[in-house]
Amino acid sequence: MAGRIKRMLDEIVQKKSGGKPALSNVAKTKLILKGLDPDKFSAASPDDPTIIARVSAVALEMGITVS
Amino acid sequence: MKVKLANSTKPGLDAAVLEIAEALKDDDTRLLIYFASTCYDPATLARQMASAFPGVTTVGCTTAGEIISGRMLEHSISAMALGSQLVVRAEARLLRTVAANAREAVTHAFASLSQAFGHGMTDLDHDRYVGIILADGLSVAEERLMDAIGDKTNIAFVGGSAGDDLKFQKTQVFVGPVAASDAAVLVVMEAAVPFQILKTQSFRALPQKLVATKVNEPMRRVLEFNGKPAAVAYAEAVGTTIEQASSRFMTNPVGLVAGEEIFVRSPQRIEDTSIYFYCSVVEGTELALLESTDIVADTQKAIGKVSDASAIIDFDCILRTLELRQKGQCDAYGGIFAQTPTVGFSTYGEEYIGHINQTSTMLVFRSQ
Repeated sequence: MAGRIKRMLDEIVQKKSGGKPALSNVAKTKLILKGLDPDKFSAASPDDPTIIARVSAVALEMGITVS
Repeated sequence: MKVKLANSTKPGLDAAVLEIAEALKDDDTRLLIYFASTCYDPATLARQMASAFPGVTTVGCTTAGEIISGRMLEHSISAMALGSQLVVRAEARLLRTVAANAREAVTHAFASLSQAFGHGMTDLDHDRYVGIILADGLSVAEERLMDAIGDKTNIAFVGGSAGDDLKFQKTQVFVGPVAASDAAVLVVMEAAVPFQILKTQSFRALPQKLVATKVNEPMRRVLEFNGKPAAVAYAEAVGTTIEQASSRFMTNPVGLVAGEEIFVRSPQRIEDTSIYFYCSVVEGTELALLESTDIVADTQKAIGKVSDASAIIDFDCILRTLELRQKGQCDAYGGIFAQTPTVGFSTYGEEYIGHINQTSTMLVFRSQ
């Protein structure tokens, strides 16, 4: 399976920013500073369980539920 | 009242506080922020400042140099009183034991701030509310504080890490009559005017990339870049020897590049073959080697983007200050802010979204 990490990161940015462009950039930068650059992942990126666990933990800390 | 500024270079603490108090006393003050050299006893200073401004939220910290409109000072106190034309309301909270409990301290402070403002921190309008953070500059907690803040709110927090005149022994933050180490101050303001955060650093990214492949994050220590001992990889990237590598730290730090923004990570020292930094590097992060440009010209350009600044609070890295002193450019740098009421200090680290180095972060209040 592939693409889950990209989907999760995009969902975090969307939910954290409420879709506002200014906040969207900040949310993305926050993820980059945490070592999770959404641009480094794509629909073809393998579903690495270690990275998925990290992304889930970040979402939890932000109070965001990701699918 | 919009804003008032004062500074004192009087050597006696009593006389210095009196000079500041006489210049700034105004019933309309909503927030008083001050930055002081450690030549003034911090505990006594905080008590006297709180007592000189009864009923006013007073916050500040110790420094490695002070900034006041047009001038960069040492061994002084610089202060700014923000009035109701710029700030509707300000609330400050002291966070203790941040080295061990940064996230818990932020959670606790945010709960209290939410209660004070009647809204959750996630619900505050990021166009109306803005935060300031002042942190103990030797706590090594700033990354975790900023990480927790960013997780729990969308309002921008900008600030700096307290200094101690380059002694690197003890830095303190102030809230009301309290001076504290292993602590941070969070201020949340409801602004009466539009505001802007400026972040400027004088570097360009070079093509050489260093991926942090082995790190000790809590120690801010990188053991390996690109699978090689960190000092070896850095020296190769710069084109010098390991022995000479540290002489390039100031002009060739590394940076995390996010879009058009650079988040500078400044190397501090080489130990064995690892490199200690002034902020932590997350394992797996790709960093670009940076090359320094002109601080005065770049800052001028950044400030020039805001044509209607009413007041500026400037958090300026001590490494930038040292470079300006070395090049005899302190007057030129100070001159950039001569036309706008500005207060600030030379920091041991800057905060905006994360913890950064060799950067100036600024809160700019604009006109109506």
